Amino acid sequence: MKNLFDRYAWLKKISIVVAIFITPFAAFAAGPPKPSELSNPLAQVMLVVIIGLLLAIALLANVVLGAADLYLQRFKEEKKRSIDAVSKIITIIILCLVSTSLFAQTPGATEAATSTDSSVSGLSAVSFYSLLSVLLLELIIILALLYNLKSLLRKEAIAMKGASEEYAVPTENAFAKWWDKFNSFKPIQEEASIDLGHNYDGIRELDNRLPPWWLYGFYLCIIFAGIYLYRYHVAHSAPLSAEELRIDLAKAEVDKQEYLKRSANNVDENTVKLLTSENDLAEAKKIFTTVCAACHKPDGGGLVGPNLTDDYWLHGGSIKDIFKTIKYGYPAMGMKSWKDDYSPLQIEQLASYVKSLHGTKPANPKDPQGTLYIETKTTSDSTKSKIDSVKVSTEKKKI
Amino acid sequence: MQVEKFYYDNKIVKMFAYATMLWGVVGMLAGLLIAVQIYLPAANFNLPITTFGRVRPVHTNAVIFAFVGNGIFMGVYYSLQRLCKARMFSDTLSKIHFWVWQLIIVAAAVTLLAGYTSGKEYAELEWPIDIVITLVWVVFGINMFGTILKRRESHLYVAIWFYIATWVTVAMLHIVNSFEIPFSFMKSYSFYAGVQDALVQWWYGHNAVAFFLTTPYLGLMYYFLPKAANRPVYSYRLSIIHFWALIFIYIWAGPHHLLYTALPDWAQSLGTVFSIMLIAPSWGGMLNGLFTLRGAWDKVREEPVLKFLVVAVTCYGMATFEGPMLSLKSVNAISHFTDWTIAHVHIGALGWNGFMTFGVLYWLIPRIFNTTLYSKKLATTHFWIGTLGIVLYALPMYWAGFTQAEMWKQFTEEGQIKYQFLETVTHIIPMYVTRSLGGALYISGVFVMIYNIWKTVAQGKLIENEEAEAAPLPKVAETHGKQYWHRWIERRPIQMLVLSLVLVAIGGLLELVPTFLIKSNIPTIASVKPYTPLELQGRDIYIREGCYLCHSQMIRPFRDEVARYGEYSKAGEFVYDHPFQWGSKRTGPDLARIGGKYPDSWHYNHMSDPRSMSPGSIMPSYSWLLDNKLDTAITPAKIRAMQTLGVPYPEGYDKKANEDLVAQENLIKANLKKDKIETPANAEIVALIAYLQRMGTDIKGEKKQVASLP
Repeated sequence: MKNLFDRYAWLKKISIVVAIFITPFAAFAAGPPKPSELSNPLAQVMLVVIIGLLLAIALLANVVLGAADLYLQRFKEEKKRSIDAVSKIITIIILCLVSTSLFAQTPGATEAATSTDSSVSGLSAVSFYSLLSVLLLELIIILALLYNLKSLLRKEAIAMKGASEEYAVPTENAFAKWWDKFNSFKPIQEEASIDLGHNYDGIRELDNRLPPWWLYGFYLCIIFAGIYLYRYHVAHSAPLSAEELRIDLAKAEVDKQEYLKRSANNVDENTVKLLTSENDLAEAKKIFTTVCAACHKPDGGGLVGPNLTDDYWLHGGSIKDIFKTIKYGYPAMGMKSWKDDYSPLQIEQLASYVKSLHGTKPANPKDPQGTLYIETKTTSDSTKSKIDSVKVSTEKKKI
Repeated sequence: MQVEKFYYDNKIVKMFAYATMLWGVVGMLAGLLIAVQIYLPAANFNLPITTFGRVRPVHTNAVIFAFVGNGIFMGVYYSLQRLCKARMFSDTLSKIHFWVWQLIIVAAAVTLLAGYTSGKEYAELEWPIDIVITLVWVVFGINMFGTILKRRESHLYVAIWFYIATWVTVAMLHIVNSFEIPFSFMKSYSFYAGVQDALVQWWYGHNAVAFFLTTPYLGLMYYFLPKAANRPVYSYRLSIIHFWALIFIYIWAGPHHLLYTALPDWAQSLGTVFSIMLIAPSWGGMLNGLFTLRGAWDKVREEPVLKFLVVAVTCYGMATFEGPMLSLKSVNAISHFTDWTIAHVHIGALGWNGFMTFGVLYWLIPRIFNTTLYSKKLATTHFWIGTLGIVLYALPMYWAGFTQAEMWKQFTEEGQIKYQFLETVTHIIPMYVTRSLGGALYISGVFVMIYNIWKTVAQGKLIENEEAEAAPLPKVAETHGKQYWHRWIERRPIQMLVLSLVLVAIGGLLELVPTFLIKSNIPTIASVKPYTPLELQGRDIYIREGCYLCHSQMIRPFRDEVARYGEYSKAGEFVYDHPFQWGSKRTGPDLARIGGKYPDSWHYNHMSDPRSMSPGSIMPSYSWLLDNKLDTAITPAKIRAMQTLGVPYPEGYDKKANEDLVAQENLIKANLKKDKIETPANAEIVALIAYLQRMGTDIKGEKKQVASLP
């Protein structure tokens, strides 16, 4: 009985390992070099969950088998009951096998799925539902295993209760038991049997087995490495850095155009207006003091950059000119272009703010540079201020 | 069999232990200083030798090579004698090893503060010191192998395998990475350039972590943890598998420091996958340590030594899991260049190396002084202060790193970058303040330990020569029951040395050689020209002041970086960069394409007082560059060194270089003058401006802008 049981446990372990090994490759078996559905984030998440659940099943199955083992030992003499237990365990094993083989097939099915109109988050319906059904199946198996484990433990508890009257059994909680099993610990009392007899300055060495989860984890990492290199450098189904950037920029451009289409923010040098509301100027002042002030001083008196408060302008003093200067910059003269840093609206606010500085008396102003610019206001309507500018050009300066 | 009587040398252990504590304090104080400087620029004191760029290498070199280095030697000299049942091979070599190592440390601190640096992180020391390091490493090797060869123990314990692998790999890394062409007594140029230099450097840098901070300390763990817990090592076969897997896989993982850079994609991918495969071998060490404590956890509650060792091993496990995660490209895109990396390395440094060292000190000092620890209570206090220090250090840095990366990547809906670089810095300053508190707490714990150890030493007496007995090595080794195949190599230290070298050489060769030999890995760009003599001089100032410690020169192919800094960096742009200056941290913005972005006068004012040009900046002032005189006498030697390295200056250019230098200098001076800035002749600032204005302009397809306002 015990032998038969062991053989099944062995078979189960092998089948799980094989399934873990095979599935990712099965995923690629039919995988054409074109971007596969595997690159879909939803599919990836689901696959990760599936693998996680599979591991959980493997562990749970292991625990159930262990518990059943104890149960079996205790009731070894009662054969007819143990046959019952074994049949139960065999059912579990079959369930496990079925689940793993199902899993092994699913990603293949995912690949085969042709694109249908009905898709879930960019994942074809067939793929989505087959992944989902695997998930559900795994959940059912876990529940079934948990139920089995619970009933086995209950029987165990009853047995312990009965036994405890005769001899004291060290009570360990469920977690400690699981932990021992999980790491395949040898009980400390049996340590002598695995002592290797080494003695280095009093240090002895045991010959414990490798913790199974560690070993399988190592295998999984190696498989990951293989898949990673395959995807990036053989199948080219995942983007390398330069391509990733192209995809990103293209998407950003689409998003931006979409947004600009439906926003009123689309100001340019032809439509720019002088803004006078306190709110706009306050927004602009924030930017001015953190960024522009570096060259123009917080009060606009000029430092490396020119004085913005006087009547002389290097590149014209109208709102349109200033907008243009900020937007495109004069890089050769040290003024960078700010169009990638600030929105058209923000530049409009900034230009307006610069205009508002005119005539203020900064502490240590820089000498005037450029040409004299005088503006005349023809109308001073409160809602719509029209500006006309007259350039009194005294000297022409080539930039 | 006749039993032989012999004596362990405890005096050398004591010397290394004292040095460990001394340099630990020095290195950590340097760390605390730079942690404060980050949010308080005034703490740079406006002096070259106290400025961040020069103190930071002192901090890293002191904690790695002085604190941990002496810690390694302390542990090795103690455990090796006992594991070999033999006194150290030669007392003279032990002394030479000790004193020359301390001399190197002092020389390192002095030269780094004086600005002599090779500009390659964790390998900053200049060529004469590199040579002395090589020699003293050979002395250590002879002493170690001498001891192993005259041992009275038939087989080598796992700790010694780690010591052997450490020795041979560090030798290989140090020699290969330190190839440089000297052009003066204390200065040299890296033999490699650009992408190749980066690959060699991070192959070295990563494995300095692996083979200086990890493998020797794993060896110490294998000795001191079972000793302190008085428990057998959990699994011998786990030791075998994780040892060989660890040293073989570790060496490949270097390129994960260069993800998304101009390094060829295949090399980046190798870095990623080998890092992932490294999880299990690293964890093998942690498991073997923690599982050895099975049945001894009640002792951990009482014994501070075990407390330190447990937290050390746990931190090791955390850091070696986090490392591979950071090697995944999607995570690295967030973490790299931010404080996340700083948090990660300090989990390793403070937790693993620091706590392991403290545990070993608390265990070994009372033993060699034939007494008991003065106060277990104080040691426990140290443990809790230290642990709290680590938490207070790491959490704000994780937070800061993540927040800043997220801010860098934010765009407005109009498609503009949402935050200016400086805003992302000022935002995380509270985190920097908290971090320095964590660091201060950690150091105060160290002072508690020093007091405790001082009291312990005072109440005991050093057993300089500890008596021991053992039978000499038999011709035929005894066997106990089942024998593993691996026992064969455990009796053959030389074969083990050779096999280790072969294993660690494989990864290195397979990554380095193709990058050097296959042209397509670094596509040439015709417009990329060698630096002018003035730019070259400026570049050396950039290196001297440690600018690369806060500014990267590597624009990664991300939307936000391209928008913020310009076209992403190409491998061909760096072919004349001896050494490369890509950097590993962006405390300040990237400078790869700073050229032409600001007028010369902006740079002049910015170096004099960064906050005048960029209010709120945390950059130190470099006002001495305004007055320092450039050493033009050395220009020809620099040009010749570059020619030797294959930089295509015309034949005989070294003689004409200074003429070109002066001509370019005059152009910049004229520019500055237009903005009312007068500079004396030969000022260093002009050379630095020349270099900054050149950076990244080669492939802009336009001439370098000699820009200023009229």
